Amino acid sequence: MSSDRLDGDTNGIARQRPMYTESQVIMTTVKAVIPFVLTYGLFITFHGTSSPGGGFQGGALVASVVLMIAFAFGIESTREWLSNSLVVGLGTVGVAIFAGIALVPMALGENFLDYTAYYPVLGDTLGLKEYEFVKYGMEAVEIGGIAFIVSGVLMGLFFALAAGVTPPSGTASDAAEASDSDGETDVDDGETAGDTATEAGENE
Amino acid sequence: MSVAVGITPIEASLFVFVLLTAVLTALFRDVLASIVVFAAYSLGLALLYTFYRAPDVGLTEAAIGAGVTTVFLLLTIAKTTRPASDARFESINWPAVGVCGLFVLVVGATLPAFPAVGDPASPILANADVTGYYIANAYDETGAENAVTAVLAAYRGFDTFGEAIVVFAAGVASLLVLGREVFTA
Repeated sequence: MSSDRLDGDTNGIARQRPMYTESQVIMTTVKAVIPFVLTYGLFITFHGTSSPGGGFQGGALVASVVLMIAFAFGIESTREWLSNSLVVGLGTVGVAIFAGIALVPMALGENFLDYTAYYPVLGDTLGLKEYEFVKYGMEAVEIGGIAFIVSGVLMGLFFALAAGVTPPSGTASDAAEASDSDGETDVDDGETAGDTATEAGENE
Repeated sequence: MSVAVGITPIEASLFVFVLLTAVLTALFRDVLASIVVFAAYSLGLALLYTFYRAPDVGLTEAAIGAGVTTVFLLLTIAKTTRPASDARFESINWPAVGVCGLFVLVVGATLPAFPAVGDPASPILANADVTGYYIANAYDETGAENAVTAVLAAYRGFDTFGEAIVVFAAGVASLLVLGREVFTA
């Protein structure tokens, strides 16, 4: 796709940046750096209650690992490596976990997100004190909720931006124009017929 | 009564760095240069937040502002064309500079009303119905050493839930706007 545009502007008015250039320096640097960034991201996520940071910052760092891999080794190959269900699943499961942890206390007759509501039910089983339920409830929300949502959505936004706009149907823009003129038909029959004819002529 | 808190040389140089990079971001004609300088601006801001004892905000600024936003912007300009011009800087629009300067003056006029950094007589510490409660009780009630997380995930958990949903909604909205059904092909 990008190579087409590259060929089109050899006259020097504007030039297109290539989407991906294989670089030994970037690939080596990314290979060396990503284990540390991933570990740091997970550390920040898991230590959100006892040190600066939390699910949002950690999730962003974990997502930035995928972004770095994509920049070094090509966005298309990274997109094929990560399945869509993983990226969407991270975000959706995150919302489900957060909402689940928040709603179960309501089912138990307490307030929304009242972590202490878990204490009478699970206190003996897990052997935790009442305030510890708040701590581990917050951990669960940070890790299973916010970190999942943020990392999934950031990865998804990245791939969606890289892919750009997909035409509604088919490959050419003819489909879009056809559906446009269909919409106009309901409003004004006479003009639309003429428009469609003109557009058909232009397309051919 | 009020504690005079001076500004350290490191903070002063960070302020100068942030101001300089902000102005350069606006001035550079090449968008790529603007984005790189903008990343440096975010990094300077993240350091500044850390020096003012807000490491949570600093981490967010570094990860989102300097990291992810830069990548997204780079990705966006990779899909555009760059003008083949030799000029390094944008030509300055002086009326716009005048309006911006006026705005800075108006906002800056409120600065003397702020208490000094760390002033114990500042309203947020002196009338500490809410802040003081968090500082006094966050550890006992939640077991979290980081009071910021205690506020975000426990005391103000409902707000955080809304924010998480907003992030998720942004992902869904981007797919809708781009007319795609899947993130990855």
